[in-house]
Amino acid sequence: MERLLITGIAGGQGRLVAKRLSDQFAVSGVDRAPWEGHPDYITVHTMDLRKKKFEDIFRRERPSAVVHLAFVRHFRADPMVRHEINVVGTKRLLECCAAYGVKRLVVLSSSYVYGALPESPYYMDEDTTLNVSRHYPDIRDLAEVDTLCSTFLWKYPEIATAILRPVPTLGYYVHSAIGAYLKLRWVPTIMGFNPMVQFIHEEDLAEAIGRTIELGLRGIFNVTGPGAVPLKVAIRETGGTAVPLLEPIARTAIDGLFRLGLYHLPPGALDFVKYPCTIDGRRFREATQFQPLFTLEEIFGSVRH
Amino acid sequence: MDVPTGDLTSSDAIDLADSFGALSDLVGGMLDSVSPSLIRELNHEIRDRLRRSPIRVNSYGYDPWGYNPDVARRTLLLFALLYRYYFRVRTTGLEHLPKGRLLVIPNHAGQIALDAAMISVATVLEADPPRPLRGMGEYWLPTLPFFNVFMARVGGVVGTPKNARDILEHGEAVIAFPEGVRGMNKTFAERYQLQEFGYGFMRLALETQTPIVPVAVVGSEEQAISIANVQPLADLLGMPAFPVLLNYFPLPVRYHIAFGKPMEFRGNANDEDEVIGKKVEQVKDRIHDMIQAGLRRRSSWFW
Repeated sequence: MERLLITGIAGGQGRLVAKRLSDQFAVSGVDRAPWEGHPDYITVHTMDLRKKKFEDIFRRERPSAVVHLAFVRHFRADPMVRHEINVVGTKRLLECCAAYGVKRLVVLSSSYVYGALPESPYYMDEDTTLNVSRHYPDIRDLAEVDTLCSTFLWKYPEIATAILRPVPTLGYYVHSAIGAYLKLRWVPTIMGFNPMVQFIHEEDLAEAIGRTIELGLRGIFNVTGPGAVPLKVAIRETGGTAVPLLEPIARTAIDGLFRLGLYHLPPGALDFVKYPCTIDGRRFREATQFQPLFTLEEIFGSVRH
Repeated sequence: MDVPTGDLTSSDAIDLADSFGALSDLVGGMLDSVSPSLIRELNHEIRDRLRRSPIRVNSYGYDPWGYNPDVARRTLLLFALLYRYYFRVRTTGLEHLPKGRLLVIPNHAGQIALDAAMISVATVLEADPPRPLRGMGEYWLPTLPFFNVFMARVGGVVGTPKNARDILEHGEAVIAFPEGVRGMNKTFAERYQLQEFGYGFMRLALETQTPIVPVAVVGSEEQAISIANVQPLADLLGMPAFPVLLNYFPLPVRYHIAFGKPMEFRGNANDEDEVIGKKVEQVKDRIHDMIQAGLRRRSSWFW
């Protein structure tokens, strides 16, 4: 049985991917946080990607496939640590993949790398530039990671590297920024703006990642779910109440609260509730015949409070 | 997929608060008290016609670009009243509308884009099947609070090349004014003289193999009489034009809207301007002839 290594295996998405692929692969995983009570057919190494011993896993286990999910997407950590884990950690992982004969690699990027800009097309394809740093520099490390992996993709044609850029993911296991935002009782929005937002269910994303590994897909792919609704419909459907704020007030307030650690997102994130960041998922669907199983109703139901 | 019934549900209560749909609702409500049956019947007629249109919406009532038939209906109600009772529009040639994707290319005039609204009402109220038109907006429109939501709900999108291609490949009917503000803000002395056409629509039609439906609007060019355009002042204010008008409220002219037979073009969308320009001229000539025919037929501005 071929071996699959999942980084960030203890996160919600990591667990789902591990289960999805454990029939075809001997699955092992790395995570900084432990996975209590993991199934015994899965090997879990509680370890930091930046540690020297990380390479030992490759030496010892010789995985033929790797799914890279170990990213810090929240802002609770020191920004330096965040940058190090995301960018330096990915670089280390890519070097190991090249050195130890990995044949298939999937990296989970996100649609956020395109940024939310007023002049962006509604359904951005994979050739759109990664504009997120223009107004939301706090997550530019994720755009750097994406670019780093694209370079790797072209540099090592013998490795089937796939970069997946899914739309915001919701579900029971996954903790996403948009999920935390929608779970607020009073959800701040910007007055006079109500962009379309796409969602995908975590199980569907696990299926998409699983299929990418199975098919040995190579390239950059947007991954979309069942469709889009205006942001305020999503807020209502998940049980919250939209609180429209005047933009200058919203920016000042969120900047202050974020600095004090009372709000989980920096003000740059406000662009994503102002302008659409919607993507075109045709390339992935044509390559994999992937069809999301979960409807928008079910997705909203999974995070309703 | 169900098209919502169109009664005020909580979903569009959210949107109404966020768009000018509330304004037209208010006007509709005021008129409702004066002439309830007329408004009610028109409202029902628009609702039924939007339901029969080929635009599909998801279970929450939105299409992928944010179009929502409830907000569209409220907006159309206001313009449909203008269409029937103020401009008393006479529309011909709607039987020419092809099925599937198409580009509606009209002349542009009248200082404010009521011509766009009247053409949009015509394709909903009188075409079979009804075809709500999708407009292409300027890049900065999404930055306008409230208006950006309204624009999306009534079917507009930002006119990026990708959006235009996507929406046509989705089988929609798109309206574009190749004259732009050059046409809309021309003076009274220049009425019915087609201004320079942009080439973008032709490249788009060639790329997506979309039939072009030429449209001639007669009447719009007399609704607001512009004696001059003070361009330095416009530049100073950052506006596209600064017209000096005799009347700032549109005159009750009669509109005549003629839809021509679809024109199909083949060729390379990336040809140089000279080649594209020749094709654009054919469309412009056709619209010119249709305008002249319309002018000959009408006996006065108001009748």
